[in-house]
Amino acid sequence: MKRKGAIIAGLLALALGLTACGSSGAPAGGAGAGPIKLAFVQGVIGDAFYVTMQCGIQEEAAKLGATVTTNGPQKFDPSLQTPVLQSVIASAPNAILIAPTDVSAMQQPIQQAIQQNIKVVLVDTTLKDPSIAASAISSDNLGGGKAAFDAIHQLAPQGGKVLVVSVQPGISTTDDRAKGFQDAVKANPTYQDLGVQYSNNDPQKAAQIVNAALQANPDIVGIFATNLFSAEGSATGIRQAGKQGQVKVVGFDAGPDQVKALQAGTVQALVAQQPGLIGQDGVQQAVAALKGQPVTKSIGTGFTVLTQANLNTPEGQAAVYKSSC
Amino acid sequence: MTSVASKENDDTALPADEEPQGRLARLAKLQALQIVLVLALIVLIFAVLRPTTFLTPFNIRGIVVNTSILAVLGVGMTFVIITGGIDLSVGSVLVFSGVIADKTMLLMGGKGWGTAIVGIVVACLCGLGWGLVNGVLIARARVPPLIVTLGTLGMALGFSQIITGGIDLRDAPDVLVNTVGFGNIVGQIPTLSVIALLVVVLGGIVLHRTRFGLYTFAVGSNAEAGRRVGVRVDRHLIKVYALAGLVAGFAGILNLAFFQSTTISGQSNTNLNVIAGVVIGGTSLFGGVGSIFGTVIGLFIPSVLQNGFVILGVQSFWQQVVVGAVLIAAVFVDQARRAAALRGSSLQFPFLSRFGSGSRKVNR
Repeated sequence: MKRKGAIIAGLLALALGLTACGSSGAPAGGAGAGPIKLAFVQGVIGDAFYVTMQCGIQEEAAKLGATVTTNGPQKFDPSLQTPVLQSVIASAPNAILIAPTDVSAMQQPIQQAIQQNIKVVLVDTTLKDPSIAASAISSDNLGGGKAAFDAIHQLAPQGGKVLVVSVQPGISTTDDRAKGFQDAVKANPTYQDLGVQYSNNDPQKAAQIVNAALQANPDIVGIFATNLFSAEGSATGIRQAGKQGQVKVVGFDAGPDQVKALQAGTVQALVAQQPGLIGQDGVQQAVAALKGQPVTKSIGTGFTVLTQANLNTPEGQAAVYKSSC
Repeated sequence: MTSVASKENDDTALPADEEPQGRLARLAKLQALQIVLVLALIVLIFAVLRPTTFLTPFNIRGIVVNTSILAVLGVGMTFVIITGGIDLSVGSVLVFSGVIADKTMLLMGGKGWGTAIVGIVVACLCGLGWGLVNGVLIARARVPPLIVTLGTLGMALGFSQIITGGIDLRDAPDVLVNTVGFGNIVGQIPTLSVIALLVVVLGGIVLHRTRFGLYTFAVGSNAEAGRRVGVRVDRHLIKVYALAGLVAGFAGILNLAFFQSTTISGQSNTNLNVIAGVVIGGTSLFGGVGSIFGTVIGLFIPSVLQNGFVILGVQSFWQQVVVGAVLIAAVFVDQARRAAALRGSSLQFPFLSRFGSGSRKVNR
């Protein structure tokens, strides 16, 4: 029994030791009056969009002499993001940049950060009551939806049925993208809106939806997929139905997979956000709030529409998301 | 690190004087004790590395709140695993109960306690229903627990998605959110955690102090022996799975109150997290041994690790690595103990060898 206790302790020591090695690159932090400590809480880890944002944040923080730690949940869900945020709050950073995974469920946990005198900047997604945050920076998503419709209008000028594949209701960004798109469709009588379908951020589900929609409406001319996984799945669904070329897909975001799909011709256009810029603005606002300087409550960033034609230009390459900094 | 390891090693040495009666509870307590030391060690390491941030009231409160719902699920899971079974469906049953309770409360329309109480009852009934389905299929239809609960995992989640269209509902009444979800009983003591503690204490009493608990151990140690001394094994198994379902249903309403959302996509690993906590806490996957106390400690280890790693600025992926190592170590200890019991140190573990739950397994 003695030996076994030692084995448990040994394994634990080994594992903790390993993590200590893993953490050697992380900033030390902790010192009270040292550099400004920022923390970035992603919507989900390992997503090119948030990685690009992280790159922008780190770059800008380095310029302003601040340190950054980055954390995030394994899935885009408030039940997984809340414990991460709570731990981040406990690590007592000066400011938190966070992409809330739910407009209402994250309100209380973020309120707790503010009660601990931590400045909060919302990046990408927002809250039911964003006024508690020092600043909220996101793409102008209504405009993004309109940009997506304009892209479909160019690709399929004859008009026809169009479908939106979104993530799930309650996510402020994708709701707005869908709304911006649908408003633009309504304004143009040659197009018919087939409504919004929800993929739950699951590419497989998006593929099933698109496949089924093409069975019901074989004459769909355009699909707007409001986020990364929806776009990947939509492209798969169209391939399954053998409708490449007929159905124009406009994706949102420009991760490595969408860029590949754009190159392959499964997706005809991408509306790229500027996550790096969102991150930079977020850091600037957070630092301004900490120094008592004026902040901008709400900032909307723009878009780049990527097609095969402009993908390989320097401008197009700059708009593509990064998978590492 | 080595000095800490050897210190712990001394503390966990087996006490030589064991009374023959209550040995089972004693055994369970013993591994639970080792786990308390492991948890203490982890807390100590983080506290030393981050003295100003880790052991703050805010952080401790956060860790406790984030473990509360898992602890409620852990109570049911401990009973199930002590019978030698498994319940993979708890996360889905939690979601299903939350969804039905949400829909019911939406239909009633009120925002007051009346609506909230109906919601709580409905959630518990939904959980109980799934638990009964699990129990009957396992005990009467003789389908292995792994398969039955894997099936109901999919079914409960599938029904939730059919009912909601896969879209999270968020209609918890304000009274429930403000009291149960985010309220405090006194000062900074969260109501959610007090409720979870009540469930844990009740579960502990039922497991360790009642005939129901004794039968649970008996069924898990040796079902045939239990049958011969008059335990109605089938009926008892149904009750145990029903209990696990019931607490999962209750956890569903707690989850809804805390997140104000049915978190349909967030619960896919809940079952495995709970099972890991139960097993780390010294409950044997082969049945017959376990304690609720151990489960609670076992559930705290992943929570504390995740929290500590975020505070240290370590990539949170590492938490899984460490929890995995602790899990394997815990099962290794369990196995080694059983092997020792068979190797003729039967003097040390007469209960296990007499009823043979160890001997069947160790021959492999």
